Amino acid sequence: MIVAEQKSLAEIRQMITPYQRVLILGCGTCMTVCNAGGEREVSFLHNALRLAESRSGNGIHTFSEYTVKRQCDYEFLDSLVDKIGDVDAILSLGCGIGVQAIAERLPDLPVLPGVNTSFMGMAEEWGVWDERCAACGDCILAETGGICPITRCTKGILNGPCAGTKNGKCEANKDMDCAWILIYKRLERLGQLDKMRRYYPLRNFRTIPRPRRVASKASIDVGEGNG
Amino acid sequence: MHSPVSDAHNYRANRTEKYLDHSLMPPCQAACPLHMDVRGYVDLVAQGKIMEALQSIRSGNPFPSICAYVCTHPCEDACRRCQVDKPVAIRALKRFAVEFGGDRMVQAEAETTQQEKVAIVGSGPAGMACAYYLRKLGYPATIFEAHSEMGGMLRVGIPQYRLPRQVLDTEVQRLTQMGVEIRLSTKVVSLDLLFDLGYKAIFITIGAHQSLRMGIEGEESPGVIDGATFLREVNLGLKPSLGERVAVVGGGNVAIDAARTAVRLGTKRVNILYRRGRAEMPADPEEVEQALGEGIEILFLVIPTRIKRGNGRLSVTCVRMELGAPDASSRRRPVPIKDSEFNEEFDTLITAIGQAPQTPGGFDVRMGKGSTIQVDPTTLTTNRVGVFAGGDAVTGPATVTEALAAGRLAASRIDDYLQHRYPVAGKAEREKLVGDLLPETIEMIRKISRLEPPILLPEARVKDFEPVELVYDWETATNEARRCLRCGMGAEILFQDKCATCLTCLKVCPYHVPCLDASGTIQIPAEQCQACGICVAECPAKVIVLRKPYDRRSINEELDHILKSAAESKSKPFIVGFCCQYGLFGIGTLANLWRGAKAGVWIVPVLCVAKVEAEQILRAFEMGAEGVFIAGCGEQCSREDTAFWVRQRVEKVRKVLAQVGFETERLQTFFPSTTNEDLAPELDKFAEQIGRLYLASAIMQEVKS
Amino acid sequence: MANSLFEEKLYSGEFLVTTEVGPPKGADISEMVHHIDLLKDKVDAINITDHQSSVMRFPSLGGCLLVKERGGEPILQVTCRDRNRLALQADLLLAYSRGINNVLCLTGDSVDVGDHKEAKPVFDSDSVQLLKIIRTMESGTDIGGNELKGTPKFCIGASVHPEADFIEPQLIKFDKKVAAGAQFFQTQGIFDLRSLRRFMQYASQFDVKILAGIIVLASAGMARYMNNNVPGIIVPQATIDELASAEKDKRLQKGIEIAVGLIKTIKEENLCHGVHIMAVGNERIVPDILEAAQLAGVRH
Ligand SMILES: Cc1cc2nc3c(=O)[nH]c(=O)nc-3n(C[C@H](O)[C@H](O)[C@H](O)COP(=O)(O)OP(=O)(O)OC[C@H]3O[C@@H](n4cnc5c(N)ncnc54)[C@H](O)[C@@H]3O)c2cc1C
Ligand code: SF4
Repeated sequence: MIVAEQKSLAEIRQMITPYQRVLILGCGTCMTVCNAGGEREVSFLHNALRLAESRSGNGIHTFSEYTVKRQCDYEFLDSLVDKIGDVDAILSLGCGIGVQAIAERLPDLPVLPGVNTSFMGMAEEWGVWDERCAACGDCILAETGGICPITRCTKGILNGPCAGTKNGKCEANKDMDCAWILIYKRLERLGQLDKMRRYYPLRNFRTIPRPRRVASKASIDVGEGNG
Repeated sequence: MHSPVSDAHNYRANRTEKYLDHSLMPPCQAACPLHMDVRGYVDLVAQGKIMEALQSIRSGNPFPSICAYVCTHPCEDACRRCQVDKPVAIRALKRFAVEFGGDRMVQAEAETTQQEKVAIVGSGPAGMACAYYLRKLGYPATIFEAHSEMGGMLRVGIPQYRLPRQVLDTEVQRLTQMGVEIRLSTKVVSLDLLFDLGYKAIFITIGAHQSLRMGIEGEESPGVIDGATFLREVNLGLKPSLGERVAVVGGGNVAIDAARTAVRLGTKRVNILYRRGRAEMPADPEEVEQALGEGIEILFLVIPTRIKRGNGRLSVTCVRMELGAPDASSRRRPVPIKDSEFNEEFDTLITAIGQAPQTPGGFDVRMGKGSTIQVDPTTLTTNRVGVFAGGDAVTGPATVTEALAAGRLAASRIDDYLQHRYPVAGKAEREKLVGDLLPETIEMIRKISRLEPPILLPEARVKDFEPVELVYDWETATNEARRCLRCGMGAEILFQDKCATCLTCLKVCPYHVPCLDASGTIQIPAEQCQACGICVAECPAKVIVLRKPYDRRSINEELDHILKSAAESKSKPFIVGFCCQYGLFGIGTLANLWRGAKAGVWIVPVLCVAKVEAEQILRAFEMGAEGVFIAGCGEQCSREDTAFWVRQRVEKVRKVLAQVGFETERLQTFFPSTTNEDLAPELDKFAEQIGRLYLASAIMQEVKS
Repeated sequence: MANSLFEEKLYSGEFLVTTEVGPPKGADISEMVHHIDLLKDKVDAINITDHQSSVMRFPSLGGCLLVKERGGEPILQVTCRDRNRLALQADLLLAYSRGINNVLCLTGDSVDVGDHKEAKPVFDSDSVQLLKIIRTMESGTDIGGNELKGTPKFCIGASVHPEADFIEPQLIKFDKKVAAGAQFFQTQGIFDLRSLRRFMQYASQFDVKILAGIIVLASAGMARYMNNNVPGIIVPQATIDELASAEKDKRLQKGIEIAVGLIKTIKEENLCHGVHIMAVGNERIVPDILEAAQLAGVRH
């Protein structure tokens, strides 16, 4: 799932400055799971903004809150219609996709990102998330024992560990496992160390040109009759 | 004097729920013949809300003061804390609530709104309860009692050291106040006569007073007396002479009561002869213990086979038994051991091997097994139109609470009958909580030893008929009440479609209760949940609620209320404290805070601070609080994780505080490390600090403008 | 014909001596020039580091040009941290065109350990791939397969870490570097000769030259600092204790002694093909070390 972090209150307040009536819009999927923009975070932020307003003494903003199941499809956003009549901007606690979906669906309404979309990953424990996939478009997990060196190695290198690894940890962060040590151990366990001995050529960054698109539907020429 | 707890509620109206409550019926309530809201009132005691506790008790029990003394508490046997350590001492807590809540002061009231007179034959608990509820329903009711005093076995059976007579007298008096007509020393022999007198319905509750016979040689000898008769004589003021040595035959509560009564009458040596072993004894183990403490000896696996009278004494031939195969009651049947006969000399022998009802032939009702009256169990109707029966007369010797339940049911069935309503079976009740705690859950539950109420020492007990058991003090009672596991109040996912299956609940639950089912849906098994509310406060989708959503709502309501009052009071600075209603009440801190010991400190009592949500803390600041603190009960808490979660939320809020220019010290947590630690000095320091911060910021404000 | 002076030396069978000079942070190159002049005739080649520890400095290519200018033999250290494949190839073309023909191919330290932590780490390639890139260019095309006008030729090397705490994956990587075309290896700092012996037992099967990295420690504090902050470095406790045992003003002296001891043993026992002395900011003492290790003398 997509992991994000809520922006600082200061940054959010800065962003909403020009807008008087702000709808705080949560997302019921990934943003709920990563504690960045579910219904609870929406109301927490709502409370925090109101507190900030009352503290500053000259608050002009009014807030409303709402959470949709998912911001990243137009159909979910259609339920916003009766919520935005008297709103000057939407503060989205959805990921970057959600924010853009809103921008596309509601062309006349400014939308502001309330979170920093960070990565795709999973929970390590309660309240801690780790990146797992870079969406590189050229998955090599079969070769690396199911451990992604592109996301989990700071340098994203493909031909084995750098010399910086110490105690199985990464040189960039002593709390982070060195991906290549993990890969080595796993491949050793699987009896597949030959995979690590193989040379991996330079990565192909052009697998899917940006902006990327994936289509699961076949392109069918309607005019063609029986296929 | 104005009574603190009113009994004047409308009984009919009271049958409907006051607020949304999805909670499941806990095993204690299911086991109680009256289905009392045990969990509810125990929790109220834990919070120190004694009057509310009494109110709750009274709404489910017409004579709580009586049950507080003599109830056999099937609720405690069903209590799921048995699986962890020992059951909650429910009966003793009820007694505490009754005495400290001021039950004696309660005025019973009733108004006559119906014409149809109802006759009740017998004044035992079944008859009294029926009269009580008939009056609440507006019917004129008359009790006919053969004896010269009211109460049935409560008066003539149960000894005074277990049920003081003032208690019973108070209840009888209340019935009179309610307008129940009482005809003492009036034995009813024919029901036709009652119909002729204009009664439209009759409730037979004549109890089971006929002692069963042992059927052995010499049973009619002088010096042999049956237990019911013996206790009745003593209870009605006679003082039978028993001699030096007394034997009581039987193993039930009547046998124990007879033996202990004999001791109190000055008998030197009392023996109980029981045909099975101690484990099989139907008598309450606590009372057996007390009897032993009073010097009574019990001869187990012994049965008298012959009685001979000579020289003014009884020579009793006994035989020893051993336990064979289990019988119908699944207890092992005792069988005599060959050639094990022996003789013992006694002055008196009391038989207490059971009683049966004795129904006058003129009643003309159909009888069943053991001379009991046959009824339809859902309607309590006999074979005669307009004649209902209940209590021991129907069940054979049972318990006070069952009799009360029968009386209450009879009242509503008679109401149905008189109003020509179809008597619907089993009115809609809440769903029952079923299932045991899993070993994994048990492991995570904090063990807390059961606190017993104090009892008199044996030497003091045997001197007279004073009550043996004393009542709890406040602190012990609240601490004992906190042991309740709040079964059936646990968390549930209210909107499955909004659940993001984020697994937060799985990760935060201290008891590892939530789980994923095969379809990938989160389940929170009700029978495991301990209702701590941690997942409720952490769920990022806010879809989890406690089955009794009152907890969250009451925090919000209390908060709004005090924020309003604080704003009105205009005293600055004001501090909001979210305080554990349980533990802090127990050690008196809460009471001190409430008494306004610290001006400007406003308390939101919460049922465990683990339920305080970050949003609620922010709200207090938003509405003008200069400082907020959260005080839990620390060591005493039912779980170790509470402080961790509170601190998580506090840190989250502090981050916001820092960003809006509030010092983070304005939000503080307090968790006393010992049960008696006084938080007052710490709180004083905090209040002072907030005072200083407030002053400083006020000056800054001044300077700016 | 050899591609460089250093390559010639590499296969001459002589005991090799290289050292490194760190470029300055700033435009004042006088000290670097001084160090180059001091060392250029005493060693077989001078490495110029490439933003060592991800700290932004004067470029290694610039340093190598200086070495060239002053008449020395440079080894260009190239990391993959800051350049994508286009920039790497372009720099190599520039190097070759200016007679800089020795390249040490490195992955590069993480930007997280440096002084521009917010920088975008490039790592378009890794060290093994960099070796391959060079070998590809030498065949006459760039890695896009386009013909090059003028084909560069290099003597290329890489690094290896015989004292890594988990050696097996490092050896795999070493194999890959050999297979990719590395001719020589300058190892990470060696403190315990046992690990060098073990490593050489393995490495001797390949036709590559191994230069043992010798780090000159100035104090126990520095050793501890490196253990905590410099990627991969593990100074053994015994060495730290030895440094700590020296009097305060004799610490550097002690460090030199330790380095000299290591070099002497390596040479006497012929453990590997040479040494690579890393004085980390103390370049001026390298001649003394060479003197003490009896390696002094004009090397050209
Ligand atoms: C010694 C003893 C100790 C007990 N201890 C406990 C205890 O600790 N806890 C507990 O829960 N239970 C206890 N019980 C059982 C409990 O007392 C009975 O289950 C309960 O009292 C039954 O109530 P009831 O209303 O059905 O009948 P009873 O209480 O027996 O009342 C029946 C009444 O009907 C009257 N009556 C009978 N025939 C007629 C008639 N023809 N006309 C008018 N009046 C008539 C009787 O005089 C009597 O007063 C004890 C019983 C005994 C004997
Ligand atoms: S230490 Fe391991 S994870 Fe970190 S950069 Fe080096 S190889 Fe990658």
